[in-house]
Amino acid sequence: MELPAIVSRAGGALLSTLQHVRLPGVGQASVTDDPTTAAHRWRAVTVLKAPDQVGSSASPPPPLDRLGDRVEVRISAAPGDKGTELAARFLGTPTDDEIGELRAALREAKQRLETGEVLRVDPQPHGFRKPTPQGAALEGMTDQADKEGVL
Amino acid sequence: MKAATWTGVNEVSVEDVPEPTLLNDRDVILKISQSVTCGSDLHLIGGYIPFMRAGDVMGHEFIGEVVEVGKEVRDRKVGDRVVVAPFAACGSCWYCKQELYSLCDNGNPNPGITEGLWGQSPGGCFGYSHAMGGCAGSHAEFMRVPYADVGTFVVPEGVSDTRALFASDAASTGWMGADLAGTEPGDVVAVWGAGGVGQMAARAAMLLGAEQVVVIDRVPERLAQVRDNVGAEAVDYTTTDVIAELRERTGGRGPDVCLEAVGMEAHAPGAPGIYDQVKQQLRLQTDRPTAVREAIMACRKGGTVFTLGVFAAMVDKFPLGAAMNKGLTLRGAQVHAQRYIPELLERMRRDELVTEHLATHVMPLTDAPEGYRLFKEKEDGCVRAVFLP
Ligand SMILES: NC(=O)c1ccc[n+]([C@@H]2O[C@H](COP(=O)([O-])OP(=O)(O)OC[C@H]3O[C@@H](n4cnc5c(N)ncnc54)[C@H](O)[C@@H]3O)[C@@H](O)[C@H]2O)c1
Ligand SMILES: [Zn+2]
Ligand SMILES: [Zn+2]
Repeated sequence: MELPAIVSRAGGALLSTLQHVRLPGVGQASVTDDPTTAAHRWRAVTVLKAPDQVGSSASPPPPLDRLGDRVEVRISAAPGDKGTELAARFLGTPTDDEIGELRAALREAKQRLETGEVLRVDPQPHGFRKPTPQGAALEGMTDQADKEGVL
Repeated sequence: MKAATWTGVNEVSVEDVPEPTLLNDRDVILKISQSVTCGSDLHLIGGYIPFMRAGDVMGHEFIGEVVEVGKEVRDRKVGDRVVVAPFAACGSCWYCKQELYSLCDNGNPNPGITEGLWGQSPGGCFGYSHAMGGCAGSHAEFMRVPYADVGTFVVPEGVSDTRALFASDAASTGWMGADLAGTEPGDVVAVWGAGGVGQMAARAAMLLGAEQVVVIDRVPERLAQVRDNVGAEAVDYTTTDVIAELRERTGGRGPDVCLEAVGMEAHAPGAPGIYDQVKQQLRLQTDRPTAVREAIMACRKGGTVFTLGVFAAMVDKFPLGAAMNKGLTLRGAQVHAQRYIPELLERMRRDELVTEHLATHVMPLTDAPEGYRLFKEKEDGCVRAVFLP
């Protein structure tokens, strides 16, 4: 693999470890869980819609439906008029990529339900992307950014 | 088209970049008429927010004309003259419904970065790094603005471009601080920082009925603007003991409301300043919280300290004991501009809110590197550099 590709991969990996770093205040998700417990946690977004507009466990909103029977889906009213909690967890033991796929699917489902679209940023104007190690690492991070985070 | 881009730490360039296109149905394309530097950009330029990619178009405070509309845009049309909120907000999530627009759940396509840093992701800001969404900024001839019905505001006739421009960020940020800190008639309000944001925070506090408003800075031209253009009192912290001065001016109580508009690169004279600089350079702390510390120590018991200044992650030597034992309310936010712009434009139309004096340096976009240099060094009395594409 070319060096820039390695660094770019490292950027993505860095982002996924950020949430496991035990610096006070940096990274919150499953800091003390063992990896198996962490992998099986419910991951959830809250959608400002009534539960019946979000769907049902049997027919979850797209693109969450694409995960099929790999995941169990739970849809319930959120307290305090905050809408509906849309949650899912893996039945088997997922890979990191699969967990990333679930995070992205939950975020996209919420966005489609609330705004009717998925916000795009590319392609957009930019100047010369000078090839630097920091730049490559950042590109790796942004490639993974919808699949990472504490969700 | 031409655009001003971040090309490295302490390096702004002018480059030829492709023109933007509509990417979502709720987008508009603007032809930018004026775009201005903000103190927040200095944190990017200084490399304190390490999520910029070489070639990123900067700028988030701007005014322009609608030249293209997406098919789901309802309330804007080609030819509208609009100012725009710096944060892209969807208008339909729970945070948007609470008018906490900069916290929009759907405005940042890169939530993984900020969730990792802060536990939750705020919204996305134009031209403000890939951590904040990675949308291209406004220092360009054209710009794409998503969620246009929510984030763009038609400027009333009779309000000049240069006045309306600052409704976008400086004035809405300042107003938000004075408002959310709960400024009441009769309050004494102290403001740290006499940049565009601090000056507008002071003006907002006055319009909300504060009895006495004191602004603290060290730059003579900025302190003069505070007196002459804003009508507030000015204190030079290099020649005055700020906490003693504020105590003396407030019958020993301290200000009711303390608005911090300095941010993570605060300047501090003497040993504490050197200590903070060294720790920041060694990455042992990411931010220098000099003004926040001072605000907490100065604030009256039970008062409110609001940080408008931008901070990235960790600070050191934070007087939490003073905050807790004095019963303070600590608050901060990125600007919820959508909440304030309509009211600000109306006050601008009535000449209650005047902002033109902030535009000390107006220049072609191609001079952006020099504009940022003047702004950063505060040379030649520069308060804000305005770029004309
Ligand atoms: N919350 C928001 O949405 C928002 C919006 C715009 C700007 N900001 C932030 O607000 C801050 C101010 O923005 P600006 O555009 O006015 O910046 P600016 O750089 O023009 O002004 C900052 C001022 O602070 C002064 N200063 C430095 N150290 C000080 C100290 N110890 N005590 C008192 N004053 C001190 C400087 O001399 C300068 O005049 C920045 O951190 C910026 O990132 C936040
Ligand atoms: Zn700004
Ligand atoms: Zn929203």
